[in-house]
Amino acid sequence: MRETVITKDTIANPRTHYGDARASTRHFITQRVTGALNILFLALLLFVVVRLAGQDRADVVALLANWWIGVPLALLIANVVVHMRNGMRDTLEDYTHGSIYRLLMLLNTLFCLVIALVGAGAVLKIVFWG
Amino acid sequence: MAMSILHRATGIANYAGMALLVIWLAAAAAGQDALMQVNYIYGSWFGQLVLFGFTWSLVHHMCGGIRHFVWDTAAMMEPGQREKMAWATIIASVIITLVIWTVFVWVA
Repeated sequence: MRETVITKDTIANPRTHYGDARASTRHFITQRVTGALNILFLALLLFVVVRLAGQDRADVVALLANWWIGVPLALLIANVVVHMRNGMRDTLEDYTHGSIYRLLMLLNTLFCLVIALVGAGAVLKIVFWG
Repeated sequence: MAMSILHRATGIANYAGMALLVIWLAAAAAGQDALMQVNYIYGSWFGQLVLFGFTWSLVHHMCGGIRHFVWDTAAMMEPGQREKMAWATIIASVIITLVIWTVFVWVA
């Protein structure tokens, strides 16, 4: 259910950013690039979780403190978060609009920021400070 | 159509599931006690059930993403081909998930 009918004027008005050519193309390409990189994330996640599930903190530190494991993991978590926010934007655009959409997009961005900062921050803390 | 819904549903599940990964990593960064508490919850039967579902959700979303990459080349879009790809996605995601859990959890 749409509150407002989308007219030709809405689409023609650049202020609405309706069907914005640059933003939509960027969104499309970003989602593909981050999605492809997420295959690497899943491979690294599988490796890390298989090695560390249920293990002590010392074992976690011993593995993740290797910078060539910890730093890529932190970067790939950040990559996942970009994909998450983009994907949730698609979902919100489909089902919500107006002020509800803006509120939910704000919450979406906040959740993604928390995931990125806490996730990558925790890994980098282990990498650099043990 | 069902695969489109599943792709979105698994995407949302992965969105929420990332919190589980981050909680584990944050606990590991915080200290041994926090990590043991998270390990206890994740190691319980309910935790394992959720993690099994999360595994399938991640794998299914990956298979769905690869399907989209195939479509981006304008291949496999005809009727019949689409249905074959839909079945391939769901069968592959279930098999890959079962292989991961069999090799790394149940047998290991």
